Amino acid sequence: MGTAPGIRTAALLRTLTLPEWRAHPLRQALALLAVALGVALAFSVHLINQSALAEFSAAVRAANGEPDAALVCAQRDGCDDALVDALAAEPAVTLASPVVEIDSYAVGRDGPRVPLKLIGIDALQVAAVAPALLPHPADGADRTAFIDPDAVFLNASAQQRLGVAPGGTLRVQHGLATVSLRVAGHVAAGGAALAVMDIAGAQTHFGFDGRLTRIDLRLAEGARADALRPLPPDWTLAEADDAAQRVANVSRAYRVNLTVLALVALFVGAFLVFSVLALSVAQRTPGLALLGVLGLSAAERGRLVIAECALLGIVGSAVGVAAGTLLAKAALRWLAGDLGGGYFPGVAPALAFSWPGALVFAALGTMAALVGGWLPAQRAASLAPAQALKGLGGTQHTGKAAWRGPALLVAGALLALAPPIAGLPLAAYASVALLLVGGIACVPALVAALLARAGTTTSPLALLALQRARHERDAATVAVAGVAASLALAVALTVMVASFRDGVSRWLDQVLPADLYVRTAASSVASDQAFLPPEFIGAVSALPGVARVEASRNRALVLDPTRPAVTLFARPLADPARSLPLLGPPLAPTALPGVYISEAMATLYDLRPGSTLALPLAAAPVTVQVLGIWRDYARQFGTVAIDDQRYRQLSGDTRVNDLALWLAPGAPIDEVQRALRTLAGEPSLLEFVATTQLRVLSLAIFDRSFAVTYYLQAVAIAIGLAGIAASFSAQVLARRREFGLLVHLGLTRAQIIGVVAGEGAAWTAAGALAGLALGLTVAVVLVHVVNPQSFHWTMELLLPWGRLATLAAAVLLAGSATAAISARAAASHDAVAAVKEDW
Amino acid sequence: MSGPLLRVEHLAKHYGGVPVFEKVSLEVARGELVAILGESGVGKSTLLNALAGLDVPSAGRVELGGRALHGLDDTTLAHWRRAHVGFVFQAFHVLPHLTVAQNIALPLLLLGRPDHERVGEMLAAVGLAGFDARLPRTLSGGQLQRVAIARALVHRPPLVLADEPTGNLDPDTAERVMDLLATQVRAEGAACVLVTHSLHAAAHADRVLRLAAHGIEDA
Repeated sequence: MGTAPGIRTAALLRTLTLPEWRAHPLRQALALLAVALGVALAFSVHLINQSALAEFSAAVRAANGEPDAALVCAQRDGCDDALVDALAAEPAVTLASPVVEIDSYAVGRDGPRVPLKLIGIDALQVAAVAPALLPHPADGADRTAFIDPDAVFLNASAQQRLGVAPGGTLRVQHGLATVSLRVAGHVAAGGAALAVMDIAGAQTHFGFDGRLTRIDLRLAEGARADALRPLPPDWTLAEADDAAQRVANVSRAYRVNLTVLALVALFVGAFLVFSVLALSVAQRTPGLALLGVLGLSAAERGRLVIAECALLGIVGSAVGVAAGTLLAKAALRWLAGDLGGGYFPGVAPALAFSWPGALVFAALGTMAALVGGWLPAQRAASLAPAQALKGLGGTQHTGKAAWRGPALLVAGALLALAPPIAGLPLAAYASVALLLVGGIACVPALVAALLARAGTTTSPLALLALQRARHERDAATVAVAGVAASLALAVALTVMVASFRDGVSRWLDQVLPADLYVRTAASSVASDQAFLPPEFIGAVSALPGVARVEASRNRALVLDPTRPAVTLFARPLADPARSLPLLGPPLAPTALPGVYISEAMATLYDLRPGSTLALPLAAAPVTVQVLGIWRDYARQFGTVAIDDQRYRQLSGDTRVNDLALWLAPGAPIDEVQRALRTLAGEPSLLEFVATTQLRVLSLAIFDRSFAVTYYLQAVAIAIGLAGIAASFSAQVLARRREFGLLVHLGLTRAQIIGVVAGEGAAWTAAGALAGLALGLTVAVVLVHVVNPQSFHWTMELLLPWGRLATLAAAVLLAGSATAAISARAAASHDAVAAVKEDW
Repeated sequence: MSGPLLRVEHLAKHYGGVPVFEKVSLEVARGELVAILGESGVGKSTLLNALAGLDVPSAGRVELGGRALHGLDDTTLAHWRRAHVGFVFQAFHVLPHLTVAQNIALPLLLLGRPDHERVGEMLAAVGLAGFDARLPRTLSGGQLQRVAIARALVHRPPLVLADEPTGNLDPDTAERVMDLLATQVRAEGAACVLVTHSLHAAAHADRVLRLAAHGIEDA
């Protein structure tokens, strides 16, 4: 006989918990806020990633259409279009839609260049495979404009960014000149700026005579694309989802890293829940003890506390999901879809809310609260009712769990040695989590060790503090652990970002030796259309003030249709050890053409010095040999560096995209830039940047891409400090009778504040030291494991001691101040009356 | 014996215009134990707080050893209290994380006069010799109250204030505790004001007064 456990728990929640929450609303609000904040951050990052990816993928799919299969030319300069006729005769093929895809720049009405994807299509066939690319002539325009070789149709993004309406003129860069096209209407395709024109016009205007970059296919019912094999050597068969997959892969590591960082906020939130609940249980110990005496079993007491956590978690998560949605909406509006990472250029996506996603993150938030409340629930279950009623019950320190902390640390260290899983540092993330939890689990032992070394004292205030800490170690442990957790995360992120930034800065010093850089293509994507003609380079070399010119070519190479393109970088490499930041001495050249690959390329394609690979440099792939590996922080998916003369021999490609200029001593850089603009004829097609400026720009981009990290770091510290505030406040509340007694015995208000502030400072200092040590350990994993496994580049560990000391000092100051503020309430008049309380 | 050690004149306390007690006057001599009876809520604890300088009376005066408490700031009162007053509470208020000896020694430590001998004397006086290293959670209620009495007298305060010291004890233990308190107060020559609603506790006093809203009178 008796009520079911669930019913009794609900009744206890109603009669005991809710009144207690009403009596201490601030404390519960703090725990709720911690959960809400963690969920909001994690969910908003998830929504932003999903929305941006969905929008970008949709745009890619719109641009690529939805063919049953596609044949993609391995050469960005296109392949022989005779294949179209051959395919049309294939029984398996019902439709072969030719496509020329060109990446270049358009010069807008207001001058600056805008990246533009130009797609040449056969308007009579495109509707069947890519309806979003179907040209729609503007009202009043010629209905046959879609076959006009000089007409172009813009999507909404292009119209908006370029400020060109139907009837206007669009100028698209080809080489160092522009092609003028008439805007005749629009296309429905979304995403970044895109233009569609007749394929013959695209071939003629942009150097693709007789060539195509892609053929989209509709297959006969029951036919398979494999039936088309064997294909000509420069054509590959792409699956329908390859392009979308490639887009997802480009940003996957960045998105996963961001999500993991956001989940860290949830972890810190769980810790705050633990802090609040641990001390709430401590304060309610007499009440829980009375319930125990009256017949509430240990398990039921534990269930009550767990139910409180669940309630906090559910409500906090609901608030968090709502807040996260608003946060994501704002971030998408102000920061674009990649939060500064640069993976979704030109995309300002609409929010794609997901109920399943919301439920998952709500569940994560509730779980975080339950995890945070597990230990307090155990304490509530294990207290001794008789002792606690007399106000003498403390928790017993059996030391049984002392092995857990070191065990977790060892497990974390071992996981850090594991390789990536599915290309992601999942084991390393788990390692970081175990190191953090293990480090915090070692805090009780640290506190015990510190107390053991403290010795004895005759100072009454020190005696009170020390003895209290020795016998009420849990309260001290909670305070120290809170400081350690929040500082550890901040230290780890600070060291990681500082190491990376320093690495990038030193790398820039080596890869930017010239005084001035000139380029016409901002990325390898547009480098086939935006290039510098040979006569321009000759003229630049002859300019007054220019001592030396070095030209380089960069282009995208697709080695694997499911992977992002690698960048080929052709420049003078007579002395590769001087020109490239090599990791180790290069191999001696062999009969095969030699190349130098980046760390990312070595990791992604499993290459090492001495390996060979086939590069699609010409009509047939060219076999080259890897002579060395170099560090490249600019390109995450692989770079191949090759001597420019060798490249021209192998490919026949004489285009140049970038110039590095060494100026004569004393030559004014502004005058040289003016002369270059005059030479160019169309100044907006060139970009100049002095080395110093390029360094500043590069580091600014770096800082922008880590903006979210800084934000999450600040949130982690804020939540940690809130936890410290809650911890000290609740401790003070729990000690009101003790402080009342001390007031009766003659301690002054200042002395009581001093005792509590001193305790706070001591424990915050211990926590700061622990946090520093833990943070440095985690930083080693972030720098030497997570980063290389995520982004495929390495860096040296840099310890910015000044910044770390400032962080530790700030936390120490905040913790001490919080304790002092809490102590002021302890020494108030109410404390005097507390001695009359029954317990 | 010279004049009264504790002199209270026309003491009154109001909270927000509502009187708690008024026109309380009494004198307590050195070594005298005065019990104040009264119903719950009549202001007995408030009176003790006023005598200890923990609460500012609305009217009247309190003098201990010729020194008036009126007009002293909180810090001065705290310093005064640690040297001149000892407390015994109903709920013992023995600090759970200090040993028995450390609890008793607390007033001496606050005065900067650690005195192990004196602590030993008080332990013996209250019948707890050998208990110095024990923790409070291992003691019974009666033993805890004896610790509190030892703490109240260890620094030889001229004034001891006891607020329902037997309220949490069984009759036999209460009797023994009151015997002890009365004996020690007289032995140390302190003036003791005891508030209680127990006639048995009051029976140990030299005088018994009754506190009512209109003042204080002989019981």
